[in-house]
Amino acid sequence: MKNKDKPPELQPFFDKNIAGDVVPSIGISMPRIDAYAKVTGRERYAADYYGFDMIWAGVKRAGIPHARLKSVNTQAAENLPGVIAVLTHKNISGSNRQGVIRKDQPVLVDDKVRHCGDAVALVLAEDKETLAKAIKLTSADFEPLPGVFTTETALEENAPLVHEDHPGGNVLLKASLEIGSVQSAKEHCDVLVEACFETPLVEHAYLETEAGWAQLKEDGKLEIVASTQTPFRDRMEVADALGLEPERIRMIAPYAGGAFGGKDGVTVQSLLGLAALHANGRPVKMWWSREESFIAGTKRHAARMYYRLGAKADGSLHSLDTRLYFDTGPYDHLGGVVITLALEHSGGPYRIPNVSFKGWAVYTNNPIGGAFRGFGVAQVTAAMEQMMDMLAEKLAMDPLKLRLKNAVRKGDKNCVGVTLTHSTGLVECLEAVARHPLWTERAAWKSKAGPFKRRGAGIVALMHASGYGPVVPDVANAKVELTAEGKIKVYCGVVDMGQGNAATNLQIAGSILCQNVDRIELILPDTDRTLPSGSASASRCTYTFGNALIGACETLKLRILQRAADLLMVDDCDETALIPGAVRHLPTGREIPLHRLATFMNESERTATQRFRAPTAKEIPPVGNEIRLHGFPHTLFSYGAHLVRVEVNELTGVVDVKRYLSVSDCGKIINPHVYEQQIQGAIAQGIGYALSEEVQVNEGKVLTADLATFIIPAASDVPEIESQPVEIYEPSGPYGLKGVGEIATNGPLPAIANAVADACGVRIFRSPLTPSRVLRALRERLSEGGVH
Amino acid sequence: MKLTIGFSVNGDSVEVEVLPHWNLLKVLRDVLELTGAKQGCGEGECGACTVLVNGAPVNSCIYPVLEVEGKEVTTIEGLMDKSGRLHPIQQAFLEKAGVQCGFCTPGMIMSAFALLKANPDPTEDEIRHAIAGNMCRCTGYVQIVESVQHAAAVMSGRSQERAGKE
Amino acid sequence: MRTFEYLKPASVNKALALLDLYGDQAKLIAGGTDVMVQWKKRIISPQVLISLRNLAELSFIKFGGGLEIGAGTTHRALELSPEIREHFPVIHDAVSNLGSVQVRNSGTIGGNICNAAPSADTAPPLLVLDTNVRIASTKGERTVAIRDFFRGPSRTVLQTGELVTLFSIPAPLPRTGMAYSKHTRRKAMDLPIVGVAVLLSFEEDLKTCRKAAIALGVAAPTPMRAANAEAFLAGKPVDKTTLLEAGKIASEEASPRTTIRGSAWYRKEIIRVLVRRTGLICMERAKGAARS
Repeated sequence: MKNKDKPPELQPFFDKNIAGDVVPSIGISMPRIDAYAKVTGRERYAADYYGFDMIWAGVKRAGIPHARLKSVNTQAAENLPGVIAVLTHKNISGSNRQGVIRKDQPVLVDDKVRHCGDAVALVLAEDKETLAKAIKLTSADFEPLPGVFTTETALEENAPLVHEDHPGGNVLLKASLEIGSVQSAKEHCDVLVEACFETPLVEHAYLETEAGWAQLKEDGKLEIVASTQTPFRDRMEVADALGLEPERIRMIAPYAGGAFGGKDGVTVQSLLGLAALHANGRPVKMWWSREESFIAGTKRHAARMYYRLGAKADGSLHSLDTRLYFDTGPYDHLGGVVITLALEHSGGPYRIPNVSFKGWAVYTNNPIGGAFRGFGVAQVTAAMEQMMDMLAEKLAMDPLKLRLKNAVRKGDKNCVGVTLTHSTGLVECLEAVARHPLWTERAAWKSKAGPFKRRGAGIVALMHASGYGPVVPDVANAKVELTAEGKIKVYCGVVDMGQGNAATNLQIAGSILCQNVDRIELILPDTDRTLPSGSASASRCTYTFGNALIGACETLKLRILQRAADLLMVDDCDETALIPGAVRHLPTGREIPLHRLATFMNESERTATQRFRAPTAKEIPPVGNEIRLHGFPHTLFSYGAHLVRVEVNELTGVVDVKRYLSVSDCGKIINPHVYEQQIQGAIAQGIGYALSEEVQVNEGKVLTADLATFIIPAASDVPEIESQPVEIYEPSGPYGLKGVGEIATNGPLPAIANAVADACGVRIFRSPLTPSRVLRALRERLSEGGVH
Repeated sequence: MKLTIGFSVNGDSVEVEVLPHWNLLKVLRDVLELTGAKQGCGEGECGACTVLVNGAPVNSCIYPVLEVEGKEVTTIEGLMDKSGRLHPIQQAFLEKAGVQCGFCTPGMIMSAFALLKANPDPTEDEIRHAIAGNMCRCTGYVQIVESVQHAAAVMSGRSQERAGKE
Repeated sequence: MRTFEYLKPASVNKALALLDLYGDQAKLIAGGTDVMVQWKKRIISPQVLISLRNLAELSFIKFGGGLEIGAGTTHRALELSPEIREHFPVIHDAVSNLGSVQVRNSGTIGGNICNAAPSADTAPPLLVLDTNVRIASTKGERTVAIRDFFRGPSRTVLQTGELVTLFSIPAPLPRTGMAYSKHTRRKAMDLPIVGVAVLLSFEEDLKTCRKAAIALGVAAPTPMRAANAEAFLAGKPVDKTTLLEAGKIASEEASPRTTIRGSAWYRKEIIRVLVRRTGLICMERAKGAARS
């Protein structure tokens, strides 16, 4: 049992790793360094802080989608014993605005409520029960305003405006790109297919809801520990919103209990900072309930996508015309960046000479659309990969051959005009699927479907950009230290939200410096201790930070060997080598322990840093500067091909995913276990997206605000997943690696939709493919006189 | 208003002051500072709070704390042996990559622990059925199932090859 | 502070005395898997909770041709009972896929029935088994047929001061097959969109239906018997065709609602499918029982 009077620990718990005597190598599956504390329950997540003298903070949510705020009534709550403060926008001396690109989200509502989850007041209380009561006693007077709840109505003339001051009205960002001409597509194409796809609003549903704690220290420093993907950016946002100098704020990011994009940006941070400023130096904790996470947290954008794809009779793609409408809810969050990445990927990994892409991120009074693994690409891939199957059907062509025919290869221009100069393994992925028995033997398998069952196979081709693109620097700064005790400290700049990059960092440092796991300590992201390295997002973590870390480790290694050579009085440090705990002079076998060596080096000498900036595309495609600002275009892509076998129950509409194959070109692999985790987990999330996950909203109110009504896959819902890497070396990546975090999420929805179409000849344009939607489609097909 | 109750946690007797409406998870985390069991939903849907009461896995977030009086509670913190060695299930989750963000892990391991005690050689379906109440959003469950299979093989002294084939 | 008094009587009689004492201010709690969630969600705010969890006299499974189940028996105890699995598989079907192991270790059959949700998994099985519900109060005992027990969503015939002690199930006729199926949005850990229990007793030819009982969950404001479908099957040879027809009739009898979990249209479709599918399982089980 822990002592209540103990001062709060800032650093999460670390313990001896099980494989402590192992010297890491690149390319092997070694147990994750973080797993030990996690399997023993000792890991201290942001939600796990219960310290001496702690206060609870909580939020009064608006509960109304669109209204002018007239007043907040705090008196009744303030009078409640045990309530420390009830704060409103009047207590905020900064801009009271948060946001990554467009700062349009208040910490606490001042002028207007724009969605039900808006924070109206912040309550501080001695305990959770008093807090709950005080939140209930806090009320607000609203003047309700008509709301906009679909992108269609939001774009109507005279639609109520979500932000009166936004020059674009309810259009947060319109992105467009034209190459060649789609106008004459009808004349030049032998075949045209057209469709409109709708994808749902989706919740991340990480197991750890938004959480953190904060304290105003005696020296005036505001310390905030939060479950976040973006500590360095958070610091700037919180500083601006609360009117503080950024250097007064210290953000600390322990291991997060899942994030998937939902913690890419401020959740509890500004609120906690504000609370700590009014807590007389006491630590303040905030932990959103599951319901609050559903109502106030960000979501994957719901999308409506119009596609028109034209091809020649031989299957070569000729033109693609798309219009994308993404519901970004009331705030930018990352909506502009999401629609831009969606636009960039809307033509898939294909060569298409004539394209016209238009995308709108539209303000509504629905929940906030934001970052979610896949980041706009999940939506457009769902559309484009179904279009490819529809086209194949019309051409009476094998869908895999159609993809191979049009697949981008290294040196090609992709359909947004970027020359692919990095490794481009799509063809290899597709060929691996084409060779696989799950594909070659599908006809026999399909024919063995039982009564009332129909079987089908579906494939998709995938690409996913990594990094931020141009303008916003995709930079990481790694720092590694030989401690005075002769151990190695790795200062991780990028958050580990579960993806395992912290363990990978240890693997890289241990491998280069030849130190066993016990001799290496990881310092997790902390604005006071680690160096700014960007967000844990965009499939960039190990690519960008890993490159920086390799540089830092090589620098430190050389410095250690040179110093050792000097002390051993040998001419050439090439004759020395690092071994666990020491440097050895190889010709003579003489050794100098690292802890001795460290005493001869001063602190600056024992520390090495390295900056790395990810490469950007050098082409300037025909888009406005606004779009470039939002990260267009990218130069580095991962690729993949997925295959799924499904069985559809004709009587119930249930789609049973039987087998799944994923082939990925994400470069070389540092830790196969961690790589596999990323692929498997992404596919499981993708299956949920395809079949069951849908945040239902009525007039801005979330109807499915718990895990009993928002259905994520449980253990029996995920099939056997086979994953094959196509390990093509990417010269710009650390050890040849590319990003793997997101790409596999994009596959299951279109793959399953294609498999359902293959099984029963119906295509369902609105996802998820719930049993009732599938059954209705089957019935409609029957009534149209289709085959049965 | 507060009541004092006694029960055992991981073999140690404890006495705590509680309010009648508190649940077991709140007492474990807020009072005893055993933060291994997590709150993922607070409504018995996700299983992150799974602990054993008298050997049976329950959702501690909806378990009235007054009901543990005189009972034995086992949490993830109680799984290691006295010398600090990991339980084979913990070891298996570590070796077979059953852990990503780790927030579901303590509850998942407690469910696996109860399963293997009752059924030392479960089929894959039995494993998936036993952990159906433990949601994981990171892994896709495949490596979790493999971890439990591996633990079962190790605990019953079966060879590793067999565990791999199951 | 929003709280309650939590009382743990040592016997059913003491529980009844407490119920008398507190009247409508009190609510009974067994495993708490519904009550605790409803309290947290502020759906209920009783001043007193009277716990039945530790009452051994409510937790038992007794065979003797028929079956008696104490209301405080957990779903997990029912699931693990070999006798129930063999002789009353319709109950096993329902409890083995109800919630999670964690829920089944706490939740009880009495709680599931008294909570009176249209989706209660144990209700359709008890309905087809013609279960009698024994109800106790300080004034004595009474018995109500389960088909008369439910009065609406979350409403039952229980009066203030009463609690359910026992489910009494008559011995099934010879050559009986029984099964429960539910349709869910994921394979486990989900409430039914529709739940269907079927019980078929056959004549000696193992074809002709001597008695049919069909019960539907989430098909109406309360769990219900599909009387028309039952009447249709009685005396007829049971096969895929007649079961299909019975499913159609049952679906017509049902009056499901559209909710966020599923639409009325879809529920009606699923009732048709499940009645047929569950009926086929009953045929198999009846044949199996006759062989053994």
